[in-house]
Amino acid sequence: MERFALELKGLNKTYPQWRKPGVDALVDVNFSVCRGEILGLLGPNGAGKTTAIKCICGLILPDTGTISYFGHETANGIARYVSAVLEGNRNIYWRLTSRENLEFFAGLQGLSPSSVKTKIHDILDNFDLTDKEDVPARKLSRGMQQKLALGCALIRDTPILLLDEPTLGLDVETSFDLRRYIKNLAKEDGKTILLSSHDMNVVEDICDRVVIIDHGCVITDDTVERLKGVFKVQAYEIGLHGRHRNLERALGDGMEVDIRDSRTTLRCQLKDSTAFYNLVDMLKKRNIEIDYIKTLEPNFEEIFIKVLGGERA
Amino acid sequence: MMDFYVFVAIVKKYFIELKRYAFNTVMMMFGIYILFALVFFGLQSFGAATETLESAIVGFALWIFAILGFVELSWSILEEARNGTLEQLYLSPVSFGRISGYRVLASFFVNMVLIGAFLIAMMVGTGHYLNLDPGVIILLFLTLLSISGIGYIMGGLALVFKKVQATLNVFQFLFIILLMLPAVMDEGVILYVLPVSWGSALINRVMVSGTPFLALSPWSILILFVNSLAYFAAGYLIFGYLERVAKKKGLLGHY
Repeated sequence: MERFALELKGLNKTYPQWRKPGVDALVDVNFSVCRGEILGLLGPNGAGKTTAIKCICGLILPDTGTISYFGHETANGIARYVSAVLEGNRNIYWRLTSRENLEFFAGLQGLSPSSVKTKIHDILDNFDLTDKEDVPARKLSRGMQQKLALGCALIRDTPILLLDEPTLGLDVETSFDLRRYIKNLAKEDGKTILLSSHDMNVVEDICDRVVIIDHGCVITDDTVERLKGVFKVQAYEIGLHGRHRNLERALGDGMEVDIRDSRTTLRCQLKDSTAFYNLVDMLKKRNIEIDYIKTLEPNFEEIFIKVLGGERA
Repeated sequence: MMDFYVFVAIVKKYFIELKRYAFNTVMMMFGIYILFALVFFGLQSFGAATETLESAIVGFALWIFAILGFVELSWSILEEARNGTLEQLYLSPVSFGRISGYRVLASFFVNMVLIGAFLIAMMVGTGHYLNLDPGVIILLFLTLLSISGIGYIMGGLALVFKKVQATLNVFQFLFIILLMLPAVMDEGVILYVLPVSWGSALINRVMVSGTPFLALSPWSILILFVNSLAYFAAGYLIFGYLERVAKKKGLLGHY
């Protein structure tokens, strides 16, 4: 069985410009996605994410390089493998109801109406759209429209799913629901998911691995856990009893002191364990009572910025 | 079978939207009827001959029919791109060219009913009754093929250049000239070669002159068939080329 659901090899794309040198959108891009994996495709605006996703969908023809879907290099059969939500809630027909949208997209995939009856029912049920099935899409809330767009991609029943900013503009609860559902799609249904998002919390929460693109080049391809390990710093949060106003001056740069009610919270990043013990000794000498000490996990957003800034993973 | 289900989905969507926006459709037809009445009674007041008036009825109905078919291929691509659904159509296992063809076919049946009703209303309103030979449906279908060919080319241009509304408007008026050309000449290479004109000439012969469809010479139908097929095939091929250009330049859709 083919290990990779999706494999991009040596993908290059330059957009020609009138009387100017062309713009390199993709430069020798190589990455793959395993079956059942959720891969985050990250990068700043104009990095080449959109071009890469459109190439995978067959909407843009690369200049050179190949894309394989379960080991097959195909130009005409992409729809058998890939479905996508590229424009969030704009990917659906606003004049059609939720049910009619699902029926239309199933038909567009060449599926008979009778074969998708149960699936439509399940999707409406899973996304809490059952009582809105006869409501035109334009009258649904943004969250519901986003869910419906995902449902329309799922009804096509392809093994690979491309999602661009799937939680953009959603409230916390809906975003949480959708994240959980996307995770389940990979874990339980074995779907391979390629996700592009600027929300690092979403990426950290649901992606197994990330590929970071900048100026058309892949600059990092690694698991979320390993990236967090590589960029791990000795950062601590120390809770102190009492209010200690003069502490920030005594501790110097790199220390953040937060005083609230009768407690002081100290957040710091230290270069080694000796620095940590020195800090604890200093607090003891000043008779400051320590309430708790917590190790801080590196923030994925910071990791992303560090990688883009040129730090090596 | 896959194409059949895609076709069924397209026809169903077409009917749903038509039904849901029935008021808009009725008002559109009413507006067209008012425009027709102005043209017809204007011609009548200038003392136009009966045959000219009846040709005007046929020409006007054909023009509406041509525009509706043309719009299905050209304007709708712009609308899909604007709405963000064009990429989804491209993600179907059936090619976008075929999907567009099915849409034209779906609109053909619906427009037949609408234009049929419109024609009856025009005949009743003007008191000029035309020969409604069922064979006209075949002539209409063949004429639509050449219109579709032009629609495909415009659709392809819409994919590449996006802003083609002005050109689309020009084509709507060009159709008037092409449809009215048989009023100036009965036969001739120009009619055989140009799109739409020969179809319009044959439809006029049946509906205005009263020639039964079966009495038309097989050659005249063969010319229409070859003309329509040539325009359709050329349009489809040019669309395919322009689609490839759009894919190379990354111009597909709005995304």
